[in-house]
Amino acid sequence: MRILPSAVRTALTTAITLVGLTASSLPAQTASQDDLNALREQIRQLDQKLRILERSQEIKDETAAADAKKQAKVTFTDKGLTFASGDGANYLKLHGLVQADSRSFFGGKNGPNNNDAFLIRRARLIFEGGFAKNYEYLIVPEFGGASGNGTLTLLDAYINVNLKPEFQVRAGRFREPVGLEQLQSDAVAFFAERSLVSQFVPNRDIGVQLWGDLLDGTLGYAIGAFDGVPDGTSNASNTDINNEKNYAARLFAQPFKNNKDSALAGLGFGVAGSIGKENNNAGALTSGYKTDGQQTWFAYNAATVANGSVSRVSPQAFYYNGPFGLLTEYVLSSVEVRNGATKRQLQNDAWQIAAGYVLTGEDAGYKGVTPATNFSLVDGTWGAFEVVARVASASIDKGAFTGAAAVADLTKSAEEATAYGVGLNWYLSKTVRASFDYFNTDFKLPASAALAGTPVVAHQENAFVARLQLSF
Amino acid sequence: MKLKSLLSLLAAVALTGTALAKDIELLNVSYDPTRELYVDYNAAFAKYWQAKTGDTVTVKQSHGGSGKQARSVIDGLQADVVTLALAADVDALYENAKLLPKDWQKRLPNNSAPYTSTIVFLVRKGNPQNIKDWDDLVKSGVTIVTPNPKTSGGARWNYLAAWGYALKKYGGDDKAKEFVGKLYKNVPVLDSGARGATTTFVQRGIGDVAISWENEAYLAVKEFGADKFEIVVPSVSILAEPTVSVVDKVVKKKGTEAVAKAYLDYLYSDAGQEIAARNFYRPRNAGILAKYSANFAKLDLFTIDDVFGGWTKAQKTHFADGGIFDEIYLKK
Repeated sequence: MRILPSAVRTALTTAITLVGLTASSLPAQTASQDDLNALREQIRQLDQKLRILERSQEIKDETAAADAKKQAKVTFTDKGLTFASGDGANYLKLHGLVQADSRSFFGGKNGPNNNDAFLIRRARLIFEGGFAKNYEYLIVPEFGGASGNGTLTLLDAYINVNLKPEFQVRAGRFREPVGLEQLQSDAVAFFAERSLVSQFVPNRDIGVQLWGDLLDGTLGYAIGAFDGVPDGTSNASNTDINNEKNYAARLFAQPFKNNKDSALAGLGFGVAGSIGKENNNAGALTSGYKTDGQQTWFAYNAATVANGSVSRVSPQAFYYNGPFGLLTEYVLSSVEVRNGATKRQLQNDAWQIAAGYVLTGEDAGYKGVTPATNFSLVDGTWGAFEVVARVASASIDKGAFTGAAAVADLTKSAEEATAYGVGLNWYLSKTVRASFDYFNTDFKLPASAALAGTPVVAHQENAFVARLQLSF
Repeated sequence: MKLKSLLSLLAAVALTGTALAKDIELLNVSYDPTRELYVDYNAAFAKYWQAKTGDTVTVKQSHGGSGKQARSVIDGLQADVVTLALAADVDALYENAKLLPKDWQKRLPNNSAPYTSTIVFLVRKGNPQNIKDWDDLVKSGVTIVTPNPKTSGGARWNYLAAWGYALKKYGGDDKAKEFVGKLYKNVPVLDSGARGATTTFVQRGIGDVAISWENEAYLAVKEFGADKFEIVVPSVSILAEPTVSVVDKVVKKKGTEAVAKAYLDYLYSDAGQEIAARNFYRPRNAGILAKYSANFAKLDLFTIDDVFGGWTKAQKTHFADGGIFDEIYLKK
């Protein structure tokens, strides 16, 4: 309850007290009943005035508080800049992501160790918003990565109609619901670079998706139709390369999610897949599967085209418990290809197991680590540290390397790649992370290999990737 | 998979989700003094609906000044049904946001007013200011509590009841305006809703008389004791008709149209009418009204249509910005 200004309150209280004292101090024999009644009435009136003033002030405060709720709000936190209408139904959040990398290769003999570089891996402005609570959108332009040469790429641009958590429709350009690691935000993954597995699932594509979380959020589903993109790549043309569509679906369960005390609360598992068809399209094939150091270890022959069905299936799981986290997935990617008279149905597959442990005790999670303290020399605090390790392997169908005209590019392709990675993540604050990753990749060459020049696959790849990242 | 197959699958997923939805939630956006009424009514309806369909329905309540509540729904509050103090506030949902059809009032019996009430006076025990009728309210030294007609439906009924009395007794709008002007000179503070005004009078001890909904006055006496308060029934008052409606746009979006409609229909059932009567609202059902007649004083009641030509006209003349109430209260 808002109290009256003290001066007013004191004056009124004093007046009431004086009147009261006067009344009580009057000798009974000299004060007539009329005098007492008059004084009582005077006290009553003053008391009423005081109560009315207090209530008026309360109503003014209530009105001011209600009006304040209607005012638009601007907040700036470590999660970004937010503009929101008074009722929160309409909002715009501005986020950002910058990753400054150093990539170094060493230990190879004749390999192309000329890729050592400083680079801007990602530089994004993220516009996230909504109208009338139910209508959400995300627009993400990319200034870094491949577009770091001055061009700009539209990374995400979609509208999400959030009718209820169980039933949502998303349309536009966004990640296809297939790869577990691919669906995880770039900024919070264990390693600076995704594993070999993510090269075998589609990345961002244009389409429409029905999705939601059922059973109190313990079962997520997504099913959608897309233009279709090759393994590990995004739709770069803003159109389809043919009339055929790709269909993707995913089911992911976290059955103990709502039982926070359970050791299995952080367990999630599921299966995802996609299916589609391509007709004589070179553009429907990956331009190359890449190592952790982002060098190509397998490529199709330039004359090879996709010609038939394309599908992927991926069982996947994660487990987080306190500072420990584990993520694993497998993907089988099938594609029908043709190089002249050579036709093949290739069954390529990959798997990975990645784990992390937060040394400073904070919880690990699919959405990242939040440090309990910031790194500060003044305060003597160090933020959070996490050690991570990963094993991943990928193999190409042997059929890719045989036939009159092999569908693989025999001059620079391996049949298998096995990568080991270890790393240290230092969370300097909720928004700044430094990571230091070492990757070692072994290659197994096909019998028909005809390496030319100084291909990546000629020797092991030893790569060191350091990153300083700002994410808010 | 062909697109047709995919669409069929999408439809199947959507339908399955709908079919499994056995728990239904409704939001009833109502005015200030109906809290107790709808607590009772919602429980009865949930029981009725579960017996009829097997579904569990939970009705959430939102209360405040009727005008303010209407504004909230216009601004996006997802009300499945509104049960407001007067038709003008429901009309506003059509006029400002087309949330329901223009002829919403014809969809239910009795112009969509399943119960009525009237305006009476709540005074302190012993009636120290000897208030018996409207004329006693304009006397010098009498302090009146009534809410703000700009935000409260009950306050508008209070205002119009006083106006109608003066019109009948003194004749002519000028005389009525003068009378109501004098009355508001005795109002030191305007709460935003009827429940707030009751609290101001009953718990804060402000004022000699509260102009109040009949049901609210009875509730105050029941809650705080007949040894503290009395009800004074004036010679003339207004027949207050709180109105109800489904909010079409919201229920279509949420898929709650059938249950929302049933919720309002049930207000007209014998069970619904009994609950209204038990909460001191005058039921439309003559038999049930007779059963509870001891609760409802007989007095001369006029309607808003008879004296003011309906809510649309009354709203525009008296309560719109720059209307007569503004003239009266700003002058004060």
